Amino acid sequence: MCSLPFFGKRFYPMKYLNNPDRLASLLAQLWQGLGVTMSLFGYTLLFSLPLGLVLALMRMSRNKAVRYPVQLFILVMRGTPLILQVFTVYFVLPMIFGTAFERLTAVVIAFVMNYAAYFAEIYRGGVQAVPEGQREAAHVLGFTRGQAFVRIILPQLIKRIVLPVSNEVITLVKDTALVTAVGMVELYRVARNAASTVGSLEPLFIAGAIYLIINAVISFLFDRANRYFAYYQG
Amino acid sequence: MLLFPDEVCYDAASAQAEIRKKEGMVMKRCLILILSMVMLSSLFSSAIAQEDTSLTDILDKGKLILGLDASFPPMGYVDADTGEIVGFDIDLAREVCKRLGVELVTQPIDWAAKEMELDAHHIDCIWNGMTITPERLENMQISLPYLRNDQVLVVRTADGYASLADLAGKKLGIQAGSSANDALDAAEAFKASLGEVVPFDENMTALMDLNQGGLDTVLVDVIVANYYMAVNDYPFTVLDESLAPEEYGIGFRKGDLALSEKVNALLLEMQADGTLAKISEDWFGTDITIINEAK
Amino acid sequence: MLSVENIYKRYADNKVLRGVSLKVNQGEVVAVIGPSGSGKSTLLRCLIDLERVDEGRIIVGGETLVDTQAQGYAEKTALRRIILKMGFVFQSFNLFPHFTVLKNVTEAQERVLKRGRQEARDYALQVLGKVGLSDKASEYPYMLSGGQQQRVAIARALAMDPQMLCFDEPTSALDPLLTQEVLRVIKGLAEENRTMLVVTHEMAFAREVADRVVYMQDGVVRCEGTPEEVFSHPEVLAFTSQTPQPE
Repeated sequence: MCSLPFFGKRFYPMKYLNNPDRLASLLAQLWQGLGVTMSLFGYTLLFSLPLGLVLALMRMSRNKAVRYPVQLFILVMRGTPLILQVFTVYFVLPMIFGTAFERLTAVVIAFVMNYAAYFAEIYRGGVQAVPEGQREAAHVLGFTRGQAFVRIILPQLIKRIVLPVSNEVITLVKDTALVTAVGMVELYRVARNAASTVGSLEPLFIAGAIYLIINAVISFLFDRANRYFAYYQG
Repeated sequence: MLLFPDEVCYDAASAQAEIRKKEGMVMKRCLILILSMVMLSSLFSSAIAQEDTSLTDILDKGKLILGLDASFPPMGYVDADTGEIVGFDIDLAREVCKRLGVELVTQPIDWAAKEMELDAHHIDCIWNGMTITPERLENMQISLPYLRNDQVLVVRTADGYASLADLAGKKLGIQAGSSANDALDAAEAFKASLGEVVPFDENMTALMDLNQGGLDTVLVDVIVANYYMAVNDYPFTVLDESLAPEEYGIGFRKGDLALSEKVNALLLEMQADGTLAKISEDWFGTDITIINEAK
Repeated sequence: MLSVENIYKRYADNKVLRGVSLKVNQGEVVAVIGPSGSGKSTLLRCLIDLERVDEGRIIVGGETLVDTQAQGYAEKTALRRIILKMGFVFQSFNLFPHFTVLKNVTEAQERVLKRGRQEARDYALQVLGKVGLSDKASEYPYMLSGGQQQRVAIARALAMDPQMLCFDEPTSALDPLLTQEVLRVIKGLAEENRTMLVVTHEMAFAREVADRVVYMQDGVVRCEGTPEEVFSHPEVLAFTSQTPQPE
């Protein structure tokens, strides 16, 4: 690699590939940053996936007192930038409620609300895509509404939402970089700091590669899920 | 049962129309709400003029939380080999904390949100090569200036530029949102003489572009310029003619007078007994601190 | 078995059912015919609470599903019990695509009737045998032809041991080749003396299998009686002469 003129010292200072100890240190730092990224990623999915379902059901309720607030919430969460929501939770809410949130807590709250809103709409779309006839068949066979939803609608729903959900999950991985705005040091931030220190872009490329690997794994998993659900059509 | 609706209650078309109408109204309302909350919060922070417990709070807490953008070498940055946050400002702060008898805690923050982090009590001070500007003096309590800084123009040595006049019609790179911008705006004639002003997110990338030939010059803090020139062995020269000089200070919450005064006192102490000079020499080779000049 | 009295139903400004009355006795096969929009399907759907009536009384197997002049609709548990008295076969089958054929037939047995897994399974295979599809038990609905799917739907309804079977245009979604296999199954059920209410466009079938025929038009019953009586009625003749008759 050192012989390629483009990567020569004149154009692209290499600070790590020539220095294995430093590279090891960088990787250790990146690993820590990755831990922050992944914990944010994990907590967000853990809470927003079910919350999204609850929101979707409320959104489809016939009771206006339930439906309107949820509609508003979804509208605001999807219509405003995530970074603004993070700022609001982290800086503004404590002013109103007097309690300070820890950075991770605040960020998780903002992310969960945001992603739950997106998932809610995905779920709703999926539910609408399940033919009305399924509900009718369940009805005439005597299933309760709850049974019908869990055993008949939900499995068909899941099949339909695998792809849209995978899109959101991949977006989430990249969105985690936003939290540098409230000073959290996640993968991207670590890379940027390292880059500033040594005056080279290498760490950013390494971080980029890590993001790519993560997303490749996620894509693979979702692809598997998609293929699993192909055991039936319709 | 509320939770298990058996159908969507109205058709998609009317739903769309309803939502679009609401969108406009709600967006505006939300923006106003958020803006007013932010303004309110800044009001609150500046209205705290009752009792100044800033110093005792720190002493009681046992730690001073220092907010910084850890990508600003050599003032505050992440050591490539150890992963620790180090820097000239960090060493200064560590010495001050030692004399105060508290622990130094470094907290990376986003530079754009530094005032908000201060006001929200997430950090106690901003100590990161922060240029003292009139706006910042309004929003924060700032210590005595401790370092002079110049906004200098860095050029490729090979080009042979020697003065501001040589840069007429050239491309200038600058870090967006930094105090370099203010300096450039103040030098109206010079700014007008330039061919193009190119904003960058980072000083580092601006200097990289200079090296590659995408720019003709970069306006940047002299300290930062020297750092990158050393680290990357860039074939650059710093022009003698610099723009308006500025000073670095430490930022505290507005109203934290006691804390700020104490830190000032400690810095003067450190200057008197030579600690300040030593730290400066460690980092810059010579003593460039100016803490005594403000007196 | 089934008593429908003076049903009125409106969709916004459209009066779909305007005073429909109907009786189905035990063991009878009643066919309901008529032009599209006459309200036949709506009537059928009202019987199992897929639609709600605005006025009228429906009594199923002695229990009141709805009586708008008295207590209105039955409450939840009674309602489900009444719904279970009837089996319903849809025009578009509505099989559960994520279950195998066998599971389609056992699921409701297990969940609703609370039958044991083995018992449900055995009964399901038995019923599938009756419609001639026991060899398809472990296939998924999408693999079957339309006629086969509809037969599975019939088996699914039968497995619940309904007192009466309702068919909502069971063959209208099938091409002529597949229609016959379904009609054959329905005919077989009729010969078992099951109580059935069939909304259909298959006139020959109605003539052959039904004990009584009801002709509906514009939300009312225009005439009813034995097939001979009804199919010689002038209005019905007018209707049937328009629709092509399969031989």
